[in-house]
Amino acid sequence: MNGSPHSGRFEELLPAYALGALDAEELREMEEHLAGCDECRRQLRLWNGDLETLAASVAPVAPSETTRARILRITAGVAGAAPAPPRRLPGWALLAAAALLAVAVWGVAGQLRLRGDLERLTAERNRLASRVESLHHEVTQARDEAQRASEALQVVADRGVRTVTLAGLEAAPRAAGHTYVNPLRRDALFFAHDLPALPSGKTYELWYIAGGKPVAAGTFAVDPQGTGNVKVENVPDVASIQAWAVTIEPAGGVPQPTGAMVLKG
Amino acid sequence: MDAREEEDLQLMSRVAARDGVAFTRLFELHAPITLGLLSRILARRMEAEEVLQEVFLQIWTQADRYDASRSTPRGWILMLARSRALDRLRRRDASRRRDEVVGGEQADTVSPVGTERIESAERQHQVASALQGLSPDQRRCIELAFFEGLTHTQIAERLEAPLGTVKSRILLGMNKLRQALSAQLQ
Repeated sequence: MNGSPHSGRFEELLPAYALGALDAEELREMEEHLAGCDECRRQLRLWNGDLETLAASVAPVAPSETTRARILRITAGVAGAAPAPPRRLPGWALLAAAALLAVAVWGVAGQLRLRGDLERLTAERNRLASRVESLHHEVTQARDEAQRASEALQVVADRGVRTVTLAGLEAAPRAAGHTYVNPLRRDALFFAHDLPALPSGKTYELWYIAGGKPVAAGTFAVDPQGTGNVKVENVPDVASIQAWAVTIEPAGGVPQPTGAMVLKG
Repeated sequence: MDAREEEDLQLMSRVAARDGVAFTRLFELHAPITLGLLSRILARRMEAEEVLQEVFLQIWTQADRYDASRSTPRGWILMLARSRALDRLRRRDASRRRDEVVGGEQADTVSPVGTERIESAERQHQVASALQGLSPDQRRCIELAFFEGLTHTQIAERLEAPLGTVKSRILLGMNKLRQALSAQLQ
């Protein structure tokens, strides 16, 4: 943290540093200096503010409906468009049950319709218990979704992640796919878009071609929007992979490709 | 701090607490400008939309890392987007860069409603006029650094200009930009 003392030279490097325009040597010097110089850190915040204004000066572009739906689905597992219900409803359910029990006690005190009330309350209690059960299930699903999102992020968040774009072939010309390969973790995430639904007994299978030979990388199904994904473990050295492809295969997948190729990149 | 930034700050802390409603609101407020920036940098609409998804996934999972003392929420989101887009750009074959510039993109430009529309148009106008105050060479150097992620040396190579000249164009240009922007604020 004992960087060089504050000087005009560092002040002059700050705007280029904020822009990301410094070359390696000056970048290293600037970062060492910044670590120990409050004044430069203060000025850097001002430059970053100017750049934010510059960034926000572009013309806004509306995301497509597909992108919007995909992004808002990120939270669906955890909280959805309304995160509160999974947390609040069980409490509400318990209160309602307590209130209904109170009514039941009232009923016992002197109502002739005691039996009918009890039956109705029992049914209500059972309904609420079943609702609580289903909410428990939703919360479990939400946790699983969050776990999957977190794992996906770990694959794609590293700096060295490579992206391979797969284009739709004749069998599915509108389809597209992307593979994010993380060479450090040696795993990959594959996402397919706009693939047609398959008849029963068929599945999509992902392959990577290494050393001229296809290696099975997992099977996947698509949702009604044609979206599907696969996580691939034990990916070999990125440089040795020549291509990625998706074929249509018998359900369960096969060790060597036999069906029509729909995506390649 | 204006009301909008205050709302953004509240949304960020709610998103950090896994509030999906706040995330949706944050998306509605900032996705169009973020996608505008991504489209400007990547020049490919489909790729820009993919990076937009990555950016919002990162916001959802890392909102707790946002530090209000370093930037506004909007600034954080835009710089996150810029950084991801530049990473993408660096990996892309430069010769294929602009072969897919989307012709119909203008048609997708949003017209924000109410005050957001005025602010957005006003901001664009302010920055545009601030940029007009720079010499074309200064503007070009800043744009190459900001929207294409080039360093001093790379800009010098691209423009076939001496390195020292590029450095001083950036320094002078950034100072002029600052003066013009702060004059407009007063």
